[in-house]
Amino acid sequence: MYSRFYLSVLLISSLLFLTYMALVAFNGVMPEWKYYQLEYKDLLIKNAKDDAARKRAEAIPVKLQQIYLSAFNKEDRCTSCHIGIDNPLVANAKLPFKKHSGDYIANHPVDKFGCTVCHEGQGSATNKREAHAKGHTYWDYPTLPLSYIQSSCAKCHDFDMLSKKGGDKVAEGDRLFREKGCQGCHKINKVGGDLGKPLDGVGNQPIAYFSMKHVIGDHTVPTWLKQHFDDPRAIVPTSEMKVKLKGPESDLLTIFALTLRSDELPKAYRYKTYAQPPKQEGETLYKTFCSACHGEGTQSLYDEVLKRTIPAIMNPSFLKIADDKNLETIIKEGRNGTQMTAWKTVASGLSEDDVKSIIGYIASKRPAEAHEPFPIKDLTGDVNHGKELYAAHCAVCHGQDAKGGENLIGINLKNPTVTKMVDPEFLAVTIRDGREGTSMPPFGKEDFALNNQDIVDVVAYIRDSSKGSK
Amino acid sequence: MNDNGQSGLARLTDNLKAIGNTFVGSVFRNGPPTSDKTRAAAIYNNFFMHIQGVKTHINTLRPTYTLGLGLMSFFLFLAVVATGVFLMVYYNPSVENAFKSVKNINFVVFGGKVMRNMHKWAGEGMIIFVLLHMARVFFTGSYKNGREFNWVIGIVLLILVYVLNLTGYLLPWDQLSYWALVIVANIMQSPKELTDSLNITRFFDVGTLSTEFFLAGLVPGKEALNRVYMFHVMVLPMVIYVFIGIHFWRIRKDGGMTKPEVFTAQESDSGYVFPPQKTGGIFPTYKTYGLMELAQGKTPAVDRDVENTVMSWPNLLVAELAVLMFTLAVALVYSYYVDAPLKELANPLIPENPAKAPWYFLGLQELLSYSAFMGGVGLPSLALLGLVLIPYLDRELYNVGIWFTDKQGRNVSLEAFVISVIVIIGMLIFAVKFGWLRNWFPDIPQIIITFVNPGSIWVGFVILWSLHVIKRTGSTRLGAMAMFVMFLVSYVILTYFATELRGPNWEFYWSKDQWPIH
Amino acid sequence: MMSETQDKEGGVSRRDFLTLSAFAAAIAAGLGVLAGVIRYFRADVRYEESRSFKIGKPENFPVGSVKKLDDKKVFIFSDENGFYAISSVCTHLGCVVYSTETGFQCPCHGSKFNITGKVVGGPAPRGLPWFEITQDVDGSLVVDASREVPPGTKIRYA
Repeated sequence: MYSRFYLSVLLISSLLFLTYMALVAFNGVMPEWKYYQLEYKDLLIKNAKDDAARKRAEAIPVKLQQIYLSAFNKEDRCTSCHIGIDNPLVANAKLPFKKHSGDYIANHPVDKFGCTVCHEGQGSATNKREAHAKGHTYWDYPTLPLSYIQSSCAKCHDFDMLSKKGGDKVAEGDRLFREKGCQGCHKINKVGGDLGKPLDGVGNQPIAYFSMKHVIGDHTVPTWLKQHFDDPRAIVPTSEMKVKLKGPESDLLTIFALTLRSDELPKAYRYKTYAQPPKQEGETLYKTFCSACHGEGTQSLYDEVLKRTIPAIMNPSFLKIADDKNLETIIKEGRNGTQMTAWKTVASGLSEDDVKSIIGYIASKRPAEAHEPFPIKDLTGDVNHGKELYAAHCAVCHGQDAKGGENLIGINLKNPTVTKMVDPEFLAVTIRDGREGTSMPPFGKEDFALNNQDIVDVVAYIRDSSKGSK
Repeated sequence: MNDNGQSGLARLTDNLKAIGNTFVGSVFRNGPPTSDKTRAAAIYNNFFMHIQGVKTHINTLRPTYTLGLGLMSFFLFLAVVATGVFLMVYYNPSVENAFKSVKNINFVVFGGKVMRNMHKWAGEGMIIFVLLHMARVFFTGSYKNGREFNWVIGIVLLILVYVLNLTGYLLPWDQLSYWALVIVANIMQSPKELTDSLNITRFFDVGTLSTEFFLAGLVPGKEALNRVYMFHVMVLPMVIYVFIGIHFWRIRKDGGMTKPEVFTAQESDSGYVFPPQKTGGIFPTYKTYGLMELAQGKTPAVDRDVENTVMSWPNLLVAELAVLMFTLAVALVYSYYVDAPLKELANPLIPENPAKAPWYFLGLQELLSYSAFMGGVGLPSLALLGLVLIPYLDRELYNVGIWFTDKQGRNVSLEAFVISVIVIIGMLIFAVKFGWLRNWFPDIPQIIITFVNPGSIWVGFVILWSLHVIKRTGSTRLGAMAMFVMFLVSYVILTYFATELRGPNWEFYWSKDQWPIH
Repeated sequence: MMSETQDKEGGVSRRDFLTLSAFAAAIAAGLGVLAGVIRYFRADVRYEESRSFKIGKPENFPVGSVKKLDDKKVFIFSDENGFYAISSVCTHLGCVVYSTETGFQCPCHGSKFNITGKVVGGPAPRGLPWFEITQDVDGSLVVDASREVPPGTKIRYA
């Protein structure tokens, strides 16, 4: 029994090695897709109507299928399992043999489009788990749920066309996106506000771009978007996003958000009917850029998320005193220190014409008669008296320091933009007439009955203290 | 016409008939070995075998002495080279295609996934086995008595194995490799910390220089991938072939494997050798062979312990073959079940959190979290320097070839083990719980942190403790032993700590389950 | 040694068996690796045009027409007896032939083929191959350039 130790090690190791070589070889010869293809072949042979059909079915080679899309430098091997994808004979077979539903592949031939262009998933994978990429497969684009699949249509088609045929959901999402005022805070193509993140390319960001901490269920981008639209602060606790969506609207917006991709399909694949996007009216622009905060614009409201009062910008008394020039300054320069950002072209990407359209829309609500003139030039204000009056009447809403702020329904009176732009008359008229639709009462009337001198005193105090606070 | 009167054509026919024998005979000069003479010839007449002695000492064949660790490292290396060549068939080193080609190796290449796994695991296995081999050589005192320089070569090989593994890590171009390489780029940048504190970065920016040399920039990019690929498949392998060659050659020239001064063959040894051939040898069993008797200096087993040597053919060769198959089989089985990681495509905009270096560098990354320069350059250099110096500072020839030298050696090692475990863990707990200097004195100059941090304190402690052991026992061997044990223990503990217990933002977590989900 | 006698009787053959089987297994493992590596080198997916391709519905090829598909290197003929496909790759060294009134002519080394692809002159070792035409389930014709059929095989499809 000499050297039996090494000989035994050699024998056992070699046998172990051989066994595992055989296992590797078996896995190589019989990959997952092969079982599907064999079953598919059996199915075709069994269902063959005549000898010729049976012969054809028997002649189908069992091999790895690959659609190589040279335009994208990617290959889809999905048809290795989804082998009957364009075979009408298996229209009613079970998955994965079943023919593609609908008439989509008549216009989108499989060998030109592949699968993942629309459905996402990992096209190069040859097993179900990694191809569908659900769960922890380290692939950023798992197969898109069919309820969101229309987002892929927008890769090539415009919303106008989609709304007429086959893409109602995504077109509806686009409409919602504009009506809900998303661009008031988010930029797309460099147009929009600055409060939120720009949305360009958000639809194909990798999963790690999103914070999945609070997402319930699958950690995928569509789930994140959907749950985020349902309740932004449940997903991102620090979010200041304002959305009021009902029922399926969050799904529709999710579909739309998924279309905001940073990549573009090759030109040969794109199919758009219009050259230029249609021009937008003032009202649409108002909804897109302003309505998220200002709503209808006739009521001022205290915003729980932004922690300040958002002024009414379309009530008659405001419009009476604020002329177009005034409006243009406010819109273009914004309000420093508030969420109202500057909307001039360099900052927001809105064109001059767009701003004019918005002003035109706002101004269209202006009453015909002008405000009653205020004899401001004839009176001199007394700062000390004004201070007493301010403390008695104004501080309750605008705050002791006149800066508005958290839990105060009045706005900040000392904002630099306000003090720069608003002349004493504007203030005086506002104090006298109040703002209907807001909590600002007409101090010149009713029980307050401040006379013009009192009002001028208050104005003097506000102006004076603003100066000092600079 | 020749002597026996055959015609030329008849001779040609005869030669043709004999061509089988004459050809094989011209390749293998001696035919199948049947006697000790031919067995010896089989070794020394063969290009591939003559690196080994004709006769092998029984001690070498005892699996309990070498544990086959060096051989396993080498066979893992062979497996890595073979699988590496096969991976090159399908791999494409470009930013656009690297990730895709690795995916394709996984998905559509016959046996590709196992091939890649094997390349990965055999490569990383080399780190473990080379370290274990080094530990074996150290604890049996095999770096002494003429073997000093081969120990240094071994350290060079260890470094090469690290660098080969590291360069391979970038090639898949996924998130894991990309961000690991960002970390490594920063480690290479870390001499800046020192040059900045000394205010000489303007003249001597060695950090930037080395980073740009390896990555063609300060962050891994397009060029970096090409460059790293070139190092991985071309430069480093060539270098390591040379050093492996020297390493093996020196084993022979330095006197073969170490063995105890007094050696007694045991009954159980018969399990490791074939029965000796009693007949037909030119070498008497009490004598070694041939020219080696004339050679000067430390030649293998000349007239010493001859009765305990056996013919290398077949004893050594069977043992080697067995270890080869054993190594390959274990590597294959492991590769069959455990997949090499492949994460998402590299995205320079979205960092992995935590971005971790490959596991074998995580011990360094832990030290790095205290001081970039010390963790990245200072302490590793010091550790390597210490390892290199060991055979020159400890020259005691007492009990070479015996594990842990003697009872006192075992005690000193055990003691060093216990103390280093306690100190290291204690220090980590302290650093995690109370933070370090900057947490207490926010304005402290960086240079102080560079020199006073848990890493450098630990190294200082190791040096002091070793000196203490030398002083106490009067033996440099025991001091070296304490130092080596402490080095190994800190490497293992720090690596484990940083791999398993450090989570996002390099904060402490008891397990990965507690990591906040990003 | 205590087992000396046992070795002489049964032990020797047992040891030989162990030796033989151990080496046989090791050699088998080596051969297995070799076979696996050869298979490993055969790529399962190719980034070249498929050798089997659809050419459209039969009605696109009216009787009497000849279509040269440049990118597929094949001529598609349609006559009263049916459809047939003839390769346009010269069997000599792979140049692409062009059709003449009497058949095909290779521009490289002057090989000439008649109308059925048979060699009538030049160095070409054999005639131009005919490829199999089948009909796909959706009704379109499929040419498989990896399958040859005997010259003269014409397929009729509706």
